[in-house]
Amino acid sequence: MTVSQPNPAAEGALPPPRAERGVIGWLRFNLFKDWRSSLLTVVAAIAVVFALFYGLRWIFVQADWGVVAELGGRIAIGNYNTVDSCASQNCFWRPQAVLIGFVLILGMAWGVAGKGMTRNIAIGAATVISLFAFLPYSWEEMGMDVRLLLAANLPALGVGWLLARYTPLSTYLRISLLAVAWFVVSMVLLRGITGAPGLQPVSVNNWGGFMVNLILAVGGIALSLPIGILLALGRRSRSPVVRLRIPLGNLRKLKLSLPIVKWLCIAFIELFRGVPLLALLFLSQYLLPLALPEGFFLTRIPLLRTAIVITLFSAAYMAENVRGGIQGLHPGQAEAARALGLSGIRTIRLITLPQALRNVIPAIVGQFISLFKDTTLVYIIGVLEVVEIGRSFIQGNIQIWGGADKEYFIFVAAIFWIFTFGMSRISRRVEERLGSDSRARN
Amino acid sequence: MAFEEQAQAIPFWRNTQVLRWTAQIVSGLAAVGLVTWLAIRMINAIQDRNVPVGFGFLSRSYGGPIGHHFLPYNPSTTAADTADSFLYSLLVAAGNTVVVSVIGVVLATILGTLIGVGRLSGNWLVSKLSLSYVEFFRNVPLLIQLFFWLTVILALPPVRSGIQIGDLFINNAGISFPWPSPTGVAPTVSWLVLAFLSLVAAYFVYRRRSRLEIRTGQPFYPIVSGCIAALILGATAWILVTAITNSVPFDITYPAPEGRFGRISGGATVPAALIVLLIGLVMYTAAFIAEIVRAGIQSVRKGQREAARSLGLNQFRSLRYVVFPQALRVIVPPLISQFLNLTKNSSLAVAIGYSDLLSVAKTMTQIGPALSIFILVMLIYLVISLAYSLIGNLYNRTTAIKGR
Repeated sequence: MTVSQPNPAAEGALPPPRAERGVIGWLRFNLFKDWRSSLLTVVAAIAVVFALFYGLRWIFVQADWGVVAELGGRIAIGNYNTVDSCASQNCFWRPQAVLIGFVLILGMAWGVAGKGMTRNIAIGAATVISLFAFLPYSWEEMGMDVRLLLAANLPALGVGWLLARYTPLSTYLRISLLAVAWFVVSMVLLRGITGAPGLQPVSVNNWGGFMVNLILAVGGIALSLPIGILLALGRRSRSPVVRLRIPLGNLRKLKLSLPIVKWLCIAFIELFRGVPLLALLFLSQYLLPLALPEGFFLTRIPLLRTAIVITLFSAAYMAENVRGGIQGLHPGQAEAARALGLSGIRTIRLITLPQALRNVIPAIVGQFISLFKDTTLVYIIGVLEVVEIGRSFIQGNIQIWGGADKEYFIFVAAIFWIFTFGMSRISRRVEERLGSDSRARN
Repeated sequence: MAFEEQAQAIPFWRNTQVLRWTAQIVSGLAAVGLVTWLAIRMINAIQDRNVPVGFGFLSRSYGGPIGHHFLPYNPSTTAADTADSFLYSLLVAAGNTVVVSVIGVVLATILGTLIGVGRLSGNWLVSKLSLSYVEFFRNVPLLIQLFFWLTVILALPPVRSGIQIGDLFINNAGISFPWPSPTGVAPTVSWLVLAFLSLVAAYFVYRRRSRLEIRTGQPFYPIVSGCIAALILGATAWILVTAITNSVPFDITYPAPEGRFGRISGGATVPAALIVLLIGLVMYTAAFIAEIVRAGIQSVRKGQREAARSLGLNQFRSLRYVVFPQALRVIVPPLISQFLNLTKNSSLAVAIGYSDLLSVAKTMTQIGPALSIFILVMLIYLVISLAYSLIGNLYNRTTAIKGR
């Protein structure tokens, strides 16, 4: 409270009146400034008290969270580990191995970044995952092996940290490459290899739960930014000009240019931005397979088509964000770079893009968040992602879990909220660190 | 000369002109080739399945169900020949999407502005409440929100034992309330035309008086006088039309339970799915609009408002004439893109069973050529998007800083 600090310039001056400092002063200033503010406060406070009373009573007393407990691991991996999809084997360890790998990489990121946000996220995530090992299920429902693999995430984090500290794997570039490689490996691991012991193939159509949302989001985020950048550059590209001299009467000069790349990019961006994602998903589900050859991998795996559609849809929006960033730059930047002798590609890579991207971080992260939220829409083509796995379960057992869909939706909303809110916080921190915070500059 | 020789000495694979032209032409050919290949394969595959290709189906009668519609629609279950055509059915569905989009946009803008202003309120509690609203609704997928609201609506009592408050009927089929219904072509249409003209006249009154207010600095109450003008003119037209045609233009009908199952008839009924869709879309989009409004108001420097106050404008007028016109420049472009998002998100109606453009089109593909229907649907969405962008750009042109 700066109000209660004595002013050194005015020695001997009286302190402010008691009603203007401390708690009372804060209350008067922030809640009861005048009659209008007081009225607002009272109305809002009554609303908050009622909402909290009924909300908390519902959450802790009336709501039946049994459906969440009943679904258990299926929320995370869907029907991946059921008899239908992974007969005569236990397949739960494969998603868990994937998770451990990513926690290991997170630990390496912490090792490189040192203190700060990365450390907090790494420790927080690993701790929460390890705590899942102590869920109060019976041993039949959740075996020792599952629990051990969950608890192994905390040591994995430490191993990652040590690797980053004491091995050459200590740069962001190497860790990023490792993460990409691990993503590919985990796809193979989850899919399985025919004939390999312990790696019985699990059809992609049986993947489900939050795992699918995360795979779609991570793949989409990793690919949509580069594609979006290419589209934005293509949209801003000028085409080469040919000057023709036509002997018509006097010698006439004709400038001919054919910006095909630019048109293609504009058409792509505007088409994908003008149409709802659901329409594109329907299209990819019902019409695209007709055009593709029989037995082609895209024809067989609906989830992959979905992933491509979501990525391209997001890339179109990303392209516009990046374009906004590039247009916000002063043209003098690129001109100076060219004058210094940088080639066109180097100008873009070293001068234009770093500044342009930094200026539109909030928009880019906003698009990532929106992509993550859009992954729920794949239920439309029958993928049992996290919302649909619960919904179909409740519909299938309507006698037992008839009214429990409210609870399930709130639970899933909370999961999504933690992830998306976390992403927006991270973006805010990155922005602050890069000093591109527009509010700070004003 | 030497320079020219050097220029000619560049091999063609390093000549930027040649490279760029090649890149352009190769990418163009590749794109055209890919699209043609896909299209030909698709059309062949469709023809192999003995499904008609092309747009000839549009004039045939459709006769499929459209659960709720704002435009009149005749599915004609008795004689299929008189049912409305595919084209008209698609337009009815598009009409639903447009109405949902317009109502949603208006409500979301109002709610979003309130919350955005609330975030800047000096009142700590109001500001924090607005912040929590934004952070919650913005970060949860719309699909989950829609499913949640659907469970809430379906938890209402059924039609037979619905809630009745006066003439308001609330049940899990929807909400019914009194509604003016047209009495005949002549009185209704002529009054509507006159009412529209009186609105135009009222706008001119508003414009003239606000100009006077700006020029003279004296209060001329432009909004109040505009509203009064509209009311007086509209009421006069009503009396005139009633006197001439011997019938009031609109008659208010009241909803009432009817028949053995207590089905509500009369008045207007908003079906449950539409309520869910609107609540979901409005609350979701309002969170984004609130952030846009907040950023817009914050983009106007404090000095502007202080200068306005010190020139003697009161609180309201300094907002209305100084802060808002400047904030709108920042607000309008992202706001339009939110309107577009709301329109596109309205396709999530498929999930909760409301008959919007996409869900009707999806039903239609069961008896019509899917490819043609999807091309039409995408065209309609593109047209709606273009219309919004056009309005936005026109408005933006009037508010943009002149001379830049």
